[in-house]
Amino acid sequence: MKRIVVEGLKYKYPLADSLALNDVTFDIKQGEFIGIIGKNLAGKSTLCQALVGLVPHFYKGAYGGKVFVGGLEVKNHSIADISLKVGMVFQNPFTQVTGSKMTVYEEIAFGLENIGVPRSEIIERIDSVLNLLKIEQVKDHNPFDLSGGQMQRMAIASIIAMKPDILVLDEPTSQLDPAGSEEVFQAIQSLSKQGITVILAEHKMEKIAQYCDRVLLLNNGKVVDFDTPGKVFSREDLEEKGVTAPVYTRVCKALGVKKAGTDEYPVTLEEAERVLRGDGA
Amino acid sequence: MIKIANLSFSYNKETPVLTGIKLEFDRRSTAIIGQNGAGKTTFVKLLKGLLKADEGEILIHDHNVNRKTAAQLARTIGLVFQNPNDQIFKRTVLDEVMFGPLNIKMDKQTAKEKAIEALKMVELDGKLEMNPHDLSLSEKKLLCIASVVAMETDIIIFDEPTIAQDHGGKEKIRQIIQALKDKNKLVMTIIHDMDFVAENFERTIVFTEGKVLLDGDTRYVFSQKELLETACVEAPGITKLAERLGFKDTVITVEEFINLKQTCSPPR
Amino acid sequence: MKSISLYEEGTSFVHDVDPITKLWYIPFAILIPIILPLFTVSFLLIGLSLALLLAAKVIRKTIPVFGFVFLILITVVLIQGMFKPENETVLFQIGPLTMYKEGLLFALTITLRVINIIGAFMILVLTTKPSDLVEALVRKGMSPRIGYVVVSVFQIIPEMMATMSTITDAQRARGMETEGKLLVRIKAFLPLLGPVVLGSLINTKERAMALEVRGFNSQAPKTFLYEEKTYQFSKILQMGMLLLTVAAVVWRIFL
Ligand SMILES: Nc1ncnc2c1ncn2[C@@H]1O[C@H](COP(=O)(O)OP(=O)(O)OP(=O)(O)O)[C@@H](O)[C@H]1O
Ligand SMILES: Nc1ncnc2c1ncn2[C@@H]1O[C@H](COP(=O)(O)OP(=O)(O)OP(=O)(O)O)[C@@H](O)[C@H]1O
Ligand SMILES: [Mg+2]
Ligand SMILES: [Mg+2]
Repeated sequence: MKRIVVEGLKYKYPLADSLALNDVTFDIKQGEFIGIIGKNLAGKSTLCQALVGLVPHFYKGAYGGKVFVGGLEVKNHSIADISLKVGMVFQNPFTQVTGSKMTVYEEIAFGLENIGVPRSEIIERIDSVLNLLKIEQVKDHNPFDLSGGQMQRMAIASIIAMKPDILVLDEPTSQLDPAGSEEVFQAIQSLSKQGITVILAEHKMEKIAQYCDRVLLLNNGKVVDFDTPGKVFSREDLEEKGVTAPVYTRVCKALGVKKAGTDEYPVTLEEAERVLRGDGA
Repeated sequence: MIKIANLSFSYNKETPVLTGIKLEFDRRSTAIIGQNGAGKTTFVKLLKGLLKADEGEILIHDHNVNRKTAAQLARTIGLVFQNPNDQIFKRTVLDEVMFGPLNIKMDKQTAKEKAIEALKMVELDGKLEMNPHDLSLSEKKLLCIASVVAMETDIIIFDEPTIAQDHGGKEKIRQIIQALKDKNKLVMTIIHDMDFVAENFERTIVFTEGKVLLDGDTRYVFSQKELLETACVEAPGITKLAERLGFKDTVITVEEFINLKQTCSPPR
Repeated sequence: MKSISLYEEGTSFVHDVDPITKLWYIPFAILIPIILPLFTVSFLLIGLSLALLLAAKVIRKTIPVFGFVFLILITVVLIQGMFKPENETVLFQIGPLTMYKEGLLFALTITLRVINIIGAFMILVLTTKPSDLVEALVRKGMSPRIGYVVVSVFQIIPEMMATMSTITDAQRARGMETEGKLLVRIKAFLPLLGPVVLGSLINTKERAMALEVRGFNSQAPKTFLYEEKTYQFSKILQMGMLLLTVAAVVWRIFL
């Protein structure tokens, strides 16, 4: 079942002179875990925001084409309606604090109160996301008095607690320690296994390669490719698009070893290990 | 250059954030890694004189940090903040970068030259008159780096410089760090990107729960798998791959890996 | 970061009373002395407010507020005592200054009213968390948007002060002297205002987006993390105050 359909989406920010998204078309099935990659200013964040309706409702600007998320056409529905189905974590963790709550605990409750989750369930859900993102020890802190990583964890927790059908994350682990970002990716993967559709923009190619079902490569607002990590990261023109493949792919490329019986290079640690062992060197 | 003895700090008296830190810094480029909330940002703010230690002593070039104001320290030590929005406050990109140099009493002409030179390094010299707040997050981060680099301080600290950067952005930062090292400056960087650590820093310090857990040559630090795990960090991808393939030595860069792989066959 | 609210945590019965009842007390304390303009009534109500503040153990926190108010009231007393047009009866003279009875009595009425109002407000402000009050009002049907604005003011003003200190940090980190003599500090302070305001505006925009995706404008009926604060005697207290007010009106009209 298709959860997201984007057809010929074009978008230009007000006052900008070029298109931020240029004729973007793709669709995503329920439960897929999709990675969006591309160099800085490629349009990743803009695309993410187009899926929750901030583009065009919040920014205005020139908009063409169609975007359907969970059956709603974004152009004809308010962000409030869309927010019941689609959750979004922003790129900058420092600017997504609501500013009306005194503690991390209450901060996470904010969205749940707004969408009318019953009290007992609010508490259950908060406890579970605090645990999932390992921020129990700061649950009584003021949301502004956190380290960068703790703030980012809180931002992710606040959205996951709302249990949206579709989860959009814009570089959600940029401030996390390696173990933390591994845990977050695992948690998101398990959500996607439960049927939640996930779209995640990221520069950490190793993580994209390991966790995503398909990868959308953007460049200058256009879709260059939308395929499995193996295919996308094996492209010869990747560097031209401002993206480098995962380190595992790069070594295997340099050593000229491909996955047995395919035209693809390994993209994860496991694949690289298997191939390089087999090759014996 | 920097000597730290028995340093302790807490934001509120109940929970200590840093306890009993003892460290010395020479001119080796140094990465500071460790779990979220370990106290890394707090530590560098103390070095910079933005926070005052509860206990202990920090000597920079034999001067006690406690006896100087942060502004006086600014001539010796520069810090790029973790959150660029915390650092930016001028109306144009050029003014933002000139602010520091002007404050440390460079004349206007020199300040402008230094500013433009620094902005060239981050490829923002085409946006001199833009309002910094209209830049994207990755550009803001680069702007903040340029603002501090332009001051040419002897010690320069980056707090997570590679946030939001694509490959090209990281490459710019790598070149800046290299240029600073060539000028014999002490470069210190807090960072969660282990590949970047391995490729750019001679020394690595691991923080955990307000203490120094590990400190040494980057290669040595990345060979301590179990300890790294307790601090929620890990070795770079290439190191993990080499280890799985049974390489005897700790490999930390792609070039090393390829060389080893091509010249000798590792034990199975 | 602290909130700017004056709320003082406590366990007294005044703290236990629900915010709405405490809110009721304010118009009650203001209306009664207007309906029954007798000094005794004013004194009684002030006494009641002070007793409640004492019981809540927050009287110390009222001192600066009352101190400030007295400063203003003294000028009222002096001006009214000397210059009120109806002034006739001389009370006493100090040098060229003459105090009149009419003016002083009038000033006393004002003083009592003001103290009375402040006392009633203090009970609410000092013993109720602002967010509890707003939440109670939202439950009673106030728009959650207005509620948000009110609560966020309590957070955002200290946040602006925090921004101020962040920017000061940004400046001193790059060599601007912000410590030391008053003049230095003032010089450092003025250029701060622009960036702080601009910064807050930008934060406001990004925050608005964050609020949107957290369902802030959703039509769904809102729920609450905390259980409604109820007080077993709140209905009785509210009815009591209403009855007393009615009784006062009746007294005023018929007696
Ligand atoms: N608020 C805005 N107003 C005007 N133009 C904008 C705005 N936000 C982004 N843009 C422009 O839209 C284009 C796409 O930017 P976007 O932020 O989507 O890129 P990105 O891929 O997310 O980059 P990054 O990796 O740096 O996060 C860029 O040209 C950018 O300058
Ligand atoms: N302003 C503050 N007031 C109170 N506590 C704070 C404040 N800033 C940070 N803390 C706490 O101090 C501890 C250390 O924070 P610090 O920012 O130094 O961590 P960090 O190592 O830089 O982490 P990260 O990798 O997430 O940036 C954390 O537990 C944090 O919650
Ligand atoms: Mg982006
Ligand atoms: Mg930090």
